[in-house]
Order: sequence, then structure tokens, then C-alpha cells
Amino acid sequence: MNPADDRLKALFAQDAPPLRDPVFQAAVMQRLAKRRCVQDLAFLGGVSALGGLAMWALWPILQPVLTAISGPLAPGAAALAAALSAVAILGGFGDHAASADA
Amino acid sequence: MKLEGLDESLVAAAQAGSTEAFSRLIERHQQAVRAFLRRACGDWALADDLAQETFLAAWPRIGRLRAGGSVRAWLCGIAHRKHLTARRSAGRSRTREATYEAERTPPAREALDDRITLETAMADLPPDQRACVALCLAADFSHAEAAEALDLPLGTVKSHVTRGRARLLVALGVQDEPC
Repeated sequence: MNPADDRLKALFAQDAPPLRDPVFQAAVMQRLAKRRCVQDLAFLGGVSALGGLAMWALWPILQPVLTAISGPLAPGAAALAAALSAVAILGGFGDHAASADA
Repeated sequence: MKLEGLDESLVAAAQAGSTEAFSRLIERHQQAVRAFLRRACGDWALADDLAQETFLAAWPRIGRLRAGGSVRAWLCGIAHRKHLTARRSAGRSRTREATYEAERTPPAREALDDRITLETAMADLPPDQRACVALCLAADFSHAEAAEALDLPLGTVKSHVTRGRARLLVALGVQDEPC
């Protein structure tokens, strides 16, 4: 590299940003998180709206069916819910115990 | 671990969805991208905004980065396109600024230091030539790497660098020595 190039390089080097810049890095990650949050909210909002619309459209058909099956299925559904709750609670307790042992 | 190897593992992790790995990539390449944009557009605040936009645009596209590719060249390529888009959309205000600059009495040559002279000379270069100079002369990119980043033929990059360098040296009043 000749002196002319060295001089150009030295002049260019004067406007170089710092090698590490946590503020810039944090600003980008914050904007990225915000953008992802907005995208997730838009997706969930869209899915919820579609679900609500489908329920509204199908309610005249669903209502008599649900009314008819709710009586016989109620005890089974309650037992299933209790069993799932117990599994969730005991499973969670088991995880805590394992991590405490570790 | 070699730096390129570190980049590769960070890219692989980011492609798998790790925002932490992407944050490390930002940490490692923010200087190159911001420096390139500062030299390419001359406006530091705009350059930093465009650099943020570059990384935001890079995240959803990280899956397209091929294995072994240069991360900084890929990022500078996105930055270059962001800059060109910003230039086009700011065309009207730039025209107004150019008119103002043309009507303004230029400051005395003696009052300008080399850095301002360099910035002015850079501003006079066509955008592609300026980008080639910013990458190859200021940031140590190889001609091939700059060609990949800017999506230009290798020969075009070489001639842009040669012409741009000559114009900058003339503006600075530096005598060029044959290599």
C-alpha cells in the first residue's frame, strides 16, 4: 500500500464507529422484539377473529348438539379435568424436586 | 475458534431462531455496516437509522444466507439497497438541498480540513462508485467481496475503485505514486 492509500485510509478511519456499541445493539434488539410482538399480536388477533366468526356462523348448529351431549358427558369431563390437573401439579412438583436435588 | 468459524456458528444458531446469536452478529458487524453507510451517505444520523433498518431486514432473511458466505458482505449488500431506496425516496428534498448548496457561497479552501474535503469529494461520486470506494478503500473489502455485496460485476467494481480513488486523491491534492 502506498502513502496515498495510507492517507486515505487514515482519513476514512476518523469516521469509524466504535468496535462495540451496546447502545446500538440494544436499540436494534428492542426494535426487533417490538416488531415480533406486533406480528404475534396481529396473528393472534386474526386467529381469534376468525375463530369468533366461525363460532358465530356455526352456533345455530352447535348449540343443540352441545345442549344434548352436555348432560351425559359432564361427569366424564369433570373426572378428566381433575386427572389432568393432578398430573400437571404432580409433574410440576417432580420437576422442582429434581432441580432442587441437582 | 476462527472469526469466520464463529460467524458460521452464530449464523447457524440465528437460522435456528436464536435471537441471542443474532444479537452477537449485530455486535460483531455493526461497525462495518455503520461505517459503510456513513461513508456511503455522509449523514451519520441517517446512516445509523439505515444500519438499524439493515439489521431488522436481515433477521427474517437470515435463512437465505448460504453457509460459508461472508456475513459482512451480505449485511453491507442489504445496507446498500436500503441506502439506494432512501436516496430515491428523499429525491425531492435532496434536489432542494442541491439548489441551496449551489446558491451558497462555498467556504474558503484553506478553511476546509482534509476530512471535510474527503467527505465533499465522496459526496460528488456516483452512488455505486462511492459504495465501492467505501468498501474497498476504507473497509478493506476485497474487490470480489465488494462485488458480491453490491451485486456488481468484478470488473465494474475494480474500475469504480480506481476512478473513485483518483478523484479523491485529486480533491485532497495528494500526489499518487505508481505501485
